[in-house]
Amino acid sequence: MISAPTLGVTIWRCANCHAGYFPEPLLCPRCHGGAFEIDRVLEAVVEEVSVIRHMISQENWQPRRIANVRTADGLHMTVGLRDESGPGATIALFEEGTAPFGKAKR
Amino acid sequence: MFNNAAIIGVGQSPYTRRPEPGQTALHFMRDAVVAALQDAALDANDIQGMAVASFSLAPDSAVDLAWKLGLSLRWLAQDTNGGSAGMSMLGNALRTVEAGTAETVLILGGDATGLAGYAKVAANYNTATQKHLSPLGHGGPNGVYALVASRQIKKYGLLKSDYGHIAVAQRQWAAKNPHAVYRAPLTMGEYVGGPLVADLLWRFDCVSVVAGAQAIIVARPDRAPKGRPGVRVRAHRASYNYDNQLGDGLQTGISTFADELWREAGVRPDDIDVGSIYDDYPTMVLAQANDLGLIPGNDLARFCRVTIGEQRFPVNTWGGMLSAGQPGGHAGGLNGISEAVLQLQNRAGERQVNNARLAVTTGYGMTMYRYGGTAAAAILERVE
Repeated sequence: MISAPTLGVTIWRCANCHAGYFPEPLLCPRCHGGAFEIDRVLEAVVEEVSVIRHMISQENWQPRRIANVRTADGLHMTVGLRDESGPGATIALFEEGTAPFGKAKR
Repeated sequence: MFNNAAIIGVGQSPYTRRPEPGQTALHFMRDAVVAALQDAALDANDIQGMAVASFSLAPDSAVDLAWKLGLSLRWLAQDTNGGSAGMSMLGNALRTVEAGTAETVLILGGDATGLAGYAKVAANYNTATQKHLSPLGHGGPNGVYALVASRQIKKYGLLKSDYGHIAVAQRQWAAKNPHAVYRAPLTMGEYVGGPLVADLLWRFDCVSVVAGAQAIIVARPDRAPKGRPGVRVRAHRASYNYDNQLGDGLQTGISTFADELWREAGVRPDDIDVGSIYDDYPTMVLAQANDLGLIPGNDLARFCRVTIGEQRFPVNTWGGMLSAGQPGGHAGGLNGISEAVLQLQNRAGERQVNNARLAVTTGYGMTMYRYGGTAAAAILERVE
């Protein structure tokens, strides 16, 4: 079943030092605090883009775009791109299930 | 310096893109074990310890493999560190022999996943991949390292052809390796004309999945076959989760220990005669070589064009995984160690590097999310 998109992407913010993480850690790598608060990031800047043109053992594969993006507080994550946004573009983030995606911010 | 443990034998199975029906990873591993025992002039009953790494063992584990190989052991380990598993197991085996826990240790890696099996492994590599990458259609490690390559190209001003120098040079070496799957010459024109797999990785930047296995035997130096120079490990270091995936992936865990490695080995990067640098992608060959201090001034472009392109420094003389094939990262990493041993023992046949006395070997692996999280390196030396 495909989940409906959810605005923003869930990140985990250390309750002690407030550093943000994605994916979810168990202990904060910076202060080793063990308590986290759920936060959401709504946008990020695209740093690099790749087009996956071939998938091993898959026939009839349709190219997919992925990107390394950076949030305002310096957190990096890999997202699926749903449009032609390129490096430098600010994109709106959304989630489908547990996967982060993005497209140009309107 | 490991004075009471040495590499005394190496062996491998044939590599193939298409195993025969019924031929499993275990069969390839058996063949590698038989070859290594023969090379070390040992009987299976002489083996007291074993370390193994494979994607293909489940639901079995290391002890099941010991059972199937008829090995009764006093030390046993199963390594899960992917492309650095070979180096990781080497370090553990050396320390185990030095400690006297076992006198002889068999190190083993092999896989025969096939393309479909490999795709399943890649999509379910860890929970981060399952939950956050696979749903994107990220293409497995190709997608991850396509982004790393983009960063490297941007940071160091590389050209597409720079990676090509590595692929072309390794194919030249592979032509002299009867075990390599791809031995036909590769020209720069063919390299740059290859199709894009994932921007900015082209076909010849990506390893081919093959079936095969590698084995190495570590033992007290006095167990080495007579009349053959021994291979001693002057220094060995490893790193696991060096930066919590918070960097850019252009440095590896090797950067955390390189100075210490050279200091303990008592040699310098320019003393090295031959290198086995883990080559899942040319991008990562450059990252590891740079971390090791093999690239003066961090000039990656010059290293590609001059050092590799003009054959001034021999790297991955077995053809690397780019040309010999990748029988899983575990065995692929072991292949680099085996090749270094053969070079140092003057047993590398047509690809022999003249008077090779010192070698550096590395492993790199476990693409946790944005790049690999494990790395290891060792300095190997011929002992007369």
